[in-house]
Amino acid sequence: MSKVIEIKNVTKEFKVLNRREGLKGSLKDLFSRDYKIVRAVNDISMDIEQGEIVGYLGPNGAGKSTTIKMMTGVLEPTSGEILVNGNSPYKNRSRNAQEIGVVFGQRSQLWWALPLVESFKLLKDIYQISDKQYDDIMKLYSSLVDIEPLLHKPVRQMSLGQRTLSDILAAFLHDPKIVFLDEPTIGLDVAMKAKIRTLIHALNKERNTTVILTTHDMGDVDALCRRIVIIDKGKMLYDNDIEHLKGFFGSYRTLKIRLDGDMKKNGETVQKELPQFSVDSDDEWISVLVDEEKEKVIDVLAGLQKKHNIRDMKLEEISTEEVIKKIYEEGVE
Amino acid sequence: MKLKKYLSFTRIGMMESLQFRLATVVIVIGNLLYLTIVYFLWKAIYASSGTDVVNGMTFSDTLIYLELATALFNFMEMYTVWEMGRSIQSGKIVLDLLKPMDYRKLLFWSYSGSFVMNFFTTFLPTFIIVGIVTGGAIPIKLNLLYFVVSVVLAIMINYSIDFIVGTICLFTESIWGINIMKQVIVLLLSGATIPIAFFPEPMKTIVLYMPFQSIYNAPLTLLLDGSPDIEDVLMILGTQLFWCVTMTVISKLFWKASLRQITVNGG
Repeated sequence: MSKVIEIKNVTKEFKVLNRREGLKGSLKDLFSRDYKIVRAVNDISMDIEQGEIVGYLGPNGAGKSTTIKMMTGVLEPTSGEILVNGNSPYKNRSRNAQEIGVVFGQRSQLWWALPLVESFKLLKDIYQISDKQYDDIMKLYSSLVDIEPLLHKPVRQMSLGQRTLSDILAAFLHDPKIVFLDEPTIGLDVAMKAKIRTLIHALNKERNTTVILTTHDMGDVDALCRRIVIIDKGKMLYDNDIEHLKGFFGSYRTLKIRLDGDMKKNGETVQKELPQFSVDSDDEWISVLVDEEKEKVIDVLAGLQKKHNIRDMKLEEISTEEVIKKIYEEGVE
Repeated sequence: MKLKKYLSFTRIGMMESLQFRLATVVIVIGNLLYLTIVYFLWKAIYASSGTDVVNGMTFSDTLIYLELATALFNFMEMYTVWEMGRSIQSGKIVLDLLKPMDYRKLLFWSYSGSFVMNFFTTFLPTFIIVGIVTGGAIPIKLNLLYFVVSVVLAIMINYSIDFIVGTICLFTESIWGINIMKQVIVLLLSGATIPIAFFPEPMKTIVLYMPFQSIYNAPLTLLLDGSPDIEDVLMILGTQLFWCVTMTVISKLFWKASLRQITVNGG
């Protein structure tokens, strides 16, 4: 195994203008030199090996995108060193670009008005992919997904799921060493999510492509990643395999229920009835974080049903945010 | 091999424009309407002046000049500033920066397809119509060759200016005002709205020392003069070449410096 990405003590700071309030303040801001320094990424180090799928997690604004932008060469670190395939990405952006693929779940790199195949042909020329290599990868694609109907469909007529799928295929087209997937399953239904996960998994296996995946969906992580890196407020909280982390969230489920009457008061009552679990409530739902090693969700629900009239319920996997909260509260050993 | 990469952009750009058939029709009609307005406006100006020749230009000279300037504008205008501004605001620019290509080239070649299309939908029809309406007043000689060379240089100067203005959007993060200002300055000082021959004397001198007149005035002057001195031709093309190189270098350096600023301070 060889290292494809090495990150050593990387810090990234941004200069942000201190904005004032109101029209008068805005006018003053035009001439202001009053900057503050925001540290988006704080002393992060990690090595990533060829063929790994790494889940890169953290709440919004944690510094995930900033780290990815530094790895792709769009941003330059304030201090520290990043090597991608042995090169510094921001010094050799074009060369680095040849070796990486990128998918941003929120925007597409495809030519909007044209059938997908035209985008592929253009990418073939941009990345100077040989005919043989192109045919090979298209053969691989058609063995993995039903690509024929997509190829001749204009991108603007695609559903979000089809478009995301196409974007992922486009990112793998030039056989890059590393692919960055930024929230690839955002806004997709369950069936499409599963399809996309299977595709990513297969492409990683076939091509031994390193995949760096940022997501808020623990389902993605569970299905794809063996290794997980968590950052929050620019600092690295966790870098280890998923089994280890499962100790924190594997046995936890969030049970959400809706009861008759004032939700806030209900929330307090439920907390009193279940002192062993933490209970949150908002206007819509009362959330109980159930540790299944202590008590099964179904038993908790049965117990609640005896005392309350439950109008609605749902069961959720623990979210990244909750995992991070637990890591903060209990630490990682 | 390298050229293929760029021509691929031209091809996809042409296909993209062809997707929007109705838009093409609207552009052709809109262009013709504008030309009609210019025709009647200047007809009235000449009628009220009482002479056939104003500032050394006859009515048909002026008409040919302005109608072809409009056609050139429709053909050369790339909306680079809009495109850059929008990708900067939406963050789409990251995807373009992550292509293994220089951004300046990528953007230019992305537009080259619509260039070719606009040539056929706006420039060529205007050229033919003006030629017919003025009864063959456009000389068809060696001047056409000079004109083509000159237009190629004009396109590159125009693109560099646009690219510089677009780069400013990296800092301001707003597009509208800057773009309108650029358009007004370029169209006025390049002689696209009023022929430079109509400018007052001191202004004329200043304008001739600026890069803008190389965009519209230079190619049109070459086109309209049927039997120019070779010295004049070389002078005009030489000036264009000078501005072409200068503006390209400036736009490249400015972009490089700005991008560094962004990568250091974040975008």
